[in-house]
Formats: sequence, C-alpha cells, structure tokens
Amino acid sequence: MSDLLVELNTKPWFRQAIKSLGLPLPSPQKLRRPKTARQARPLADRTAVLCLQGDLGDTLAACLPAAGANPVLLGVSAVPAAWRDAGEAHGRPARVLDLAAEAPEDARADALILDATGLEDPAGIRILYDFFHGWVGRLARCGRVIVLGRPAAEAQRPAQAGARAALEGFTRSLAKEIGRLGATAHVVYVADGAEGRVDPLLRFLLSDRAAFLTGQPWHLVATATPPPRVEAERALAGQVALVTGAARGIGAATVKLLAAEGAHVICVDRPGDEGPMSVVAREVGGTPLAADITDPGATAAILGALAGRPLHILVHNAGITRDKTLARMKPEWWDQAVAVNLRAIADIDAGLLAAGAFADHARIIALSSVAGIAGNFGQTNYAASKAGLVGYVRAQAAALADRGITVNAVAPGFIETRLTAAMPPVNREVGRRLSALGQGGEPRDVAELISFLATPGASGLTGGTHRACGGMFIGA
Amino acid sequence: MATRKSSKSPRRAVVVAGARTPFVKAFSEFLKLDAIALGKATVAGLLAKTGLPRHELDGVVWGTVILPGYAPNVGREIALDLGLYDVEAFTVTRACASGLQAITTAAAAIERGDADVIIAGGSDSTSNAEIKLPQKLMHAIAPLALGKAGPAQYLQVLSQLMPITDILPKKPEIAERTTGEVMGQAAERMATRNEISRADQDAFAVQSHHRAAAAIASGRFEDEVLTVEGSGGKRVYADTLVRASTSLEAIARLRPVFAKDGTLTAANSSPLTDGGAAVMLMSEEKARALGFTPKAAFRSWAYTAVDPADQLLMGPALAMPKALDKAGLALADVDLVDMHEAFAAQVLSVLKMLGSDAFARARLGRDTAVGEVDPAKLNVHGGSVALGHPFGATGARMVLTMANELALTGKSTALLGICAAGGLGAAAVLERV
Repeated sequence: MSDLLVELNTKPWFRQAIKSLGLPLPSPQKLRRPKTARQARPLADRTAVLCLQGDLGDTLAACLPAAGANPVLLGVSAVPAAWRDAGEAHGRPARVLDLAAEAPEDARADALILDATGLEDPAGIRILYDFFHGWVGRLARCGRVIVLGRPAAEAQRPAQAGARAALEGFTRSLAKEIGRLGATAHVVYVADGAEGRVDPLLRFLLSDRAAFLTGQPWHLVATATPPPRVEAERALAGQVALVTGAARGIGAATVKLLAAEGAHVICVDRPGDEGPMSVVAREVGGTPLAADITDPGATAAILGALAGRPLHILVHNAGITRDKTLARMKPEWWDQAVAVNLRAIADIDAGLLAAGAFADHARIIALSSVAGIAGNFGQTNYAASKAGLVGYVRAQAAALADRGITVNAVAPGFIETRLTAAMPPVNREVGRRLSALGQGGEPRDVAELISFLATPGASGLTGGTHRACGGMFIGA
Repeated sequence: MATRKSSKSPRRAVVVAGARTPFVKAFSEFLKLDAIALGKATVAGLLAKTGLPRHELDGVVWGTVILPGYAPNVGREIALDLGLYDVEAFTVTRACASGLQAITTAAAAIERGDADVIIAGGSDSTSNAEIKLPQKLMHAIAPLALGKAGPAQYLQVLSQLMPITDILPKKPEIAERTTGEVMGQAAERMATRNEISRADQDAFAVQSHHRAAAAIASGRFEDEVLTVEGSGGKRVYADTLVRASTSLEAIARLRPVFAKDGTLTAANSSPLTDGGAAVMLMSEEKARALGFTPKAAFRSWAYTAVDPADQLLMGPALAMPKALDKAGLALADVDLVDMHEAFAAQVLSVLKMLGSDAFARARLGRDTAVGEVDPAKLNVHGGSVALGHPFGATGARMVLTMANELALTGKSTALLGICAAGGLGAAAVLERV
C-alpha cells in the first residue's frame, strides 16, 4: 500500500527528470513521521519564527523552548522577560528580528507561528500578509504554520468577529499552497479561559505526529474540567483504553500508539476477526475481546473485560460501508451501516455511563469520515451515520464536560488501508492527489490524532470533529 | 545513595593518600601502556609511596572507559600484575565519571563495613582503543569460520557484505550510541545554546593552563605525580600537556574543530590523554590504627542523568546542587569547587545554569539559583583542558588534588562536578578530616 510517487520523489534523480522533462506530475513530499513514543522535547532543534501580536506571548514562551525549539521573535523590540527566562532554563535563547525587514538570507523556519489574538478589526489582518508573505518562502519541508486567534463568537464587535473568522480562510488556503512541501497550516482559536490548554495542542501540531493534518481550525475551549496533571511523556501510564475494530488498519495503529504511551488496551473486534485482533493485543500486552458491537450484550462484555477497572479511553473505531445508491439500497444495508457506525456507539456509551464505567477525565473518540461529512455518491447510509456522529459528540461533550470527560470525532480522509487498496486504480490515484499534501495518509496518521485526543493534555478539545485528511479537496 | 551523616553511620571512609601518573598526550610517551599497565603503574606507585603492608589491602575498585576487550576487568588485572593474588578487585564504568564512581563505590563499601582498606581510581589509554570489526561482518563470516564452507557459502557471504561501507572497520569515536552525536558537537551546541563566546572559552582555557603550570612550577603536584617509565624506557615525571606560555593571542588563532562556524578549538577542549590516578581509602579507625593521617572524607555524593538529546554535558548542573543538598550545604558554603573541564564551553555552560534563577525554577524545582561560583575557588590548579583527560582517571585525579588541597590549606569543603557521556552527571562534597 505504499505510494510509489511519494517514494520516487524522495530520489533527487527522479525530481530532476520530471523537472527537465516538464512533466505535469505532482511531486508529493514524503512526510516526516515520528519514530518513537511521545517525548519531552518533540521540537528539538527546530527553528520557530514567531510574530507576537496578541496576549499569548507568555504561553508560547513557556511552551516552545521547553519543547526544544529555537525561537526567533518578530514584532517585539527586545526579548521579553518570559522568553529570556525560558531561553536560559532550557538553553534556547530567543533571537529578535525586525518584522518590517526582510528575512535574513540563510534563515530557515521549521515553524511559523502568528499570535493574532490581539486582532481588533479587518484592517488588522494585514499582519497575515506582512508576516507570512516574506517568511513562507523560508519554510522548511514538512514545516508548520500556526495562527493563534480568539473565537469569532466571543468578539465584541461584528468587525472584530470578521477579522477573527478571516484567519480560518487564510490558513485553509495557505495549507493548499504549502502542501507540496509536506508543510501544514492550522488556526487555533483559543477561547477565553483556555489559554492553559494551548501548550499540549501546540506541541502536537508542531510535531511530526501531526504530519497528515492540515488546513484545520482547532477550537480550544475551557468547558471540560482539566485534569490535575499533564505529562509530556508516557501520558497514558496506568490508564485503561478500549478500541473497537482493533484487528487492522486505523484501529490496530491506534492500539499500538495508546500502548506506547503506557495504556493497557482492550482490543475489540468481531468474532470473525479474532485472529488478527489477538495478534495485535498480544503485541502490546493488551486484552483481546471478541464481540460484535451491535450485539445487545456488547456493553456487558466490555464491562466484563474491564473487571471493575475504570475506563479512561474509549475509541469507537469500528465502522462499515454498505455502498449503493439509495434507490437500489436494500433495507438491511441501510440498517447495518447505521447500526455499526452510529447506533452501537450511542448504545455502548449509554450503557457504560449508566454502569459508571468511565473514569473522570475520560476520553471518548468516535471515527467519523470526511466523505461522510461532505456527502458521497452511493453512501447515503454511511454518510448519514458518520454525519450523525458529528452531532452526537457535540451533545455528549456538553453533557459530560463537568466530569472532565471529552468527546470528539475524528474524520479521516484518504488513508492507505485495505479499503482504499481495493479501489479502482484511477479512483485511488485521484483520491490520493486531491489533497493539499498530494498523498494519502497512513493508518498511523489518524491514530496519532486519536491518541493525542486521548491524552490528558487534550482537555481543551471537546465536542468537535477533527479531520485527518491531508487537506482533502472535499469536506468541511 | 549513601549520604554520610556522622550521627547515623559509625564508620567513615577517609582518603589517606593518592597518586597519579603524569598525564600525557595520546599516542606519545605511553603509547605501549594500555589501561591495565597505566593502572598497574599507578597502584604500584601508591603502594610504594604509602608503604602499606600488602596484607592490609582488601580490594581494588577501578574505573575505565575504553575497556580492553581481551581483559575488561581492569581492576583485577592490575591486582594480578602486582602479585596481589588475594586482593579482590573489580571494574566500574560510568563514562568520564568512572574514576569518581570507583572511589564512591569503595567509600560505600568501607562505610558499610565490607572492607577496611581499598585502592580506588581509574585509568584509560586512548592510544590503545581497539578498532572493532563491524558486527555485520562478524555475523556474515561466521559460517565460514565455524563450518565447512563450499564456494556457494563463500558467494553467499560475499553477497551479504554490501555496501562496502557497512563492513569497513570504524574509527573509534567518542560518540553517543543513541544520538550518534560526537562529544565535541554536543559541547559546540551547548556553547551556542547557552551563548558562551569563543573569547570566554579561550580565557577560561588560558587560565586553566596558567593555573596548572603554576601548580607544577611550585611543586604542588610533586607529591601527587609519579615517575613512570614510558615507551623506549623514557621516564616521564611530569604532565606533558600543560602549556605555561600559552596566551589568549596564541589560541585565538586556532580554527574551530567541531563546526565550521564553531567556537570550540583544540585549545579550549580537553585533549585525548593517557594516564591513571588513584586514592587509598580506609575506615577512619583503620587509618589511625595503621598510623595514616586522614586527609578528607566524603560528606555526600550524587549522580544524575538527562536525555542525551537535550544538553549532553549539563549533568553537573543537576548533580552539584543535589550533592550540596545531601551535604546540607549551600554553594556559598564550600571553599573549593573542582569541575571536570571536558570543554571550556561545557564548564561555562554549567556555571551559567547554576547562576540562573530561571534554570533553577524549571530544572531543579527551586525558587532561586544555586549560585555563582567564585572564579577564585574554581579549579584552583587548572583542570582537564590543561592537564588532559584520561577518561577513567579524571575523577580520581580530582579527588586526589582536592583531598590534598583541603589537607594543605586547612580549608574545610570542596565540591566536585563531572559531566559524562550518556547525559550523566556526577558530583561529590569532600570535607577535611
């Protein structure tokens, strides 16, 4: 399931040949992916160029040098005290450059970060041009662009809301422009009171773990009670996780990442897939559980596997397609898709909640789909169920926020799995290339997002649907 | 780990004597002496100097970094070579903190009552580092060496030996196994990250040379340094690396060695060195019974570790505060500070960390800085940049010089700090007895 074009583009001779022949071939950049479990310094030796135009300066100062980044500051006249202290503590002294001046000849940025939380009105968004226009050309391959803003909904005046909302269109567009570099762009909207939750999300988005995420708004909110402690490494030590559809693909990759962060994982899959599922479970020292999630006894089986231990992480990954145009669709196809993709999730959550099975600060993550959200030919049943999850997680998140439990959906785009390998070659090729990064993702890319959402540090994200799609052409 | 509190522990290990070989440049006078031979010269010299009755010696604990593959238990080989057949001996390895590790291990054994008299120290011969054949080559040719091989086997083996770069013997390098980073590159990065200038490094290096030269000229080291017969019967009686005449102007001309625009040069880094050093430790009772005058004892020691991918040689910035805490002392309380100078940049980086409130808050969990080290107290007789750095010997050289310094000057405490590969840090507080 490897992408030949991505592999060929890692060879200088191939790039050269395409260039000299003038072939209109896309040249997707091989993405840099992490080799280890979460580390204390995911940004070691990366250069982060920051333009400070808001009130998150101290938050960024506490985050970036500690995470290993070498900061370059624009928009300040001298190194602020918080940056000086952080530089001294972590051996990452900040440099100050003039925003108006051109970037130095040899300057390279692994990350460009704009703190635009101070935006007042539409005139203010000129800073997007002023900062990025000169620096975007200095962005390294697999680099990152992050724009931090305040939510439009919290704006005091319509004009301010307009300026804030503008950040989203800008980053989505820039994501498409820098995608061929393997670089990604995000806007992070930080709600009032959620400043303390910026650090883990930034570490994640700036790291190689977020390789396949791009063009996305992230809404950090303070609604869910934050956990008492947030660890940078082995964040899930001592926790119990449960992943459905664990036998292969995204599920298996999720199991491995959760286990690598220290969680004990209960691996659930249909009795028919018990073989590969138990291989995965054995590999990570987890517990295999053969169960059909649409079975009325599924909740009881899960409670049995938990054996009284509180559940910290529940990943509803199991999903099926039963594609047919609506006119030709048999009733059982409709029922099966909805039963697995939506009903079982609501039923299991309700059963586990009624049984008091969740720990405080638990994480519930359901797998939606970009195609589902956008709507797709022949997928009325699938799209209905996957779009249903968007509404489900929003409502469930609100209901469980007081206990610190977050509920999120993850929407994968084109991922290199058994499903996509079976597609007709032309469709597959189109699916791969029609994204900002010009390639499909690996199951692990989605699993990285899931496992981030599963960490205590992700308490600022709840009720949302987050895409892992490489900036797909379709989708919201 | 053992913090000696006199109220709790009735036994106290004391340093009564010590000796070291001259420290000489690698591939020179001591070319033919491996770590075992250097250790033998050291221990023999120490025994001769003290006149310790052989039957009183209980054990030898030895620190070596470049272990000879043919006999890795260097300590025992030294004992055997000296005819000390019934003296138990072992070898410890903790990179550049190996010498100190040997001594604190010995002190712990004495204080626990396992022994009364131990010689502990270390030696290393960079000149005798072994060139290893790559494991891939070894595995590939195993069938030829162990079985009956036909032409097919030979062909098969040949096919495994590509590319050729995988099977060429590798030059031994002081590189981190996990990160592949060479020690000097790590120090170069520390210089950049802690904003240590070339001028400051050079000034520190010149001071190290001048102080070491002054100590040699004044005869301060005469009691510590043995005369050792090197290759071709040449007798070496003093350190050969110290340059009394060096100056800022002279070393400012040197080119950086670890990075093109770097600041580390041959002059502000410690050189590759051959040598050995050891001290004799006894229980205080035994020392008095045998008529030795105790010079110093350990008030505390501490070992720490950081991620090698962070700042590889910052260990002492964590270990020194820890040892001070265990000793119940503040930095201002100690009379002498002796730091291993792997690189001037590394010492200056650590000093900067110790003096930083922000570092103390972020990395030590304390509100204020550990403190500024008074330059007049620091490395009073120079350090590894000038004297040289036989890896396993350096810790023992520092204990030896500081124990003598306390005894000679009547000062009461000395703080030692050593950085080591693997992100390790080591520190100890010595007190006069």
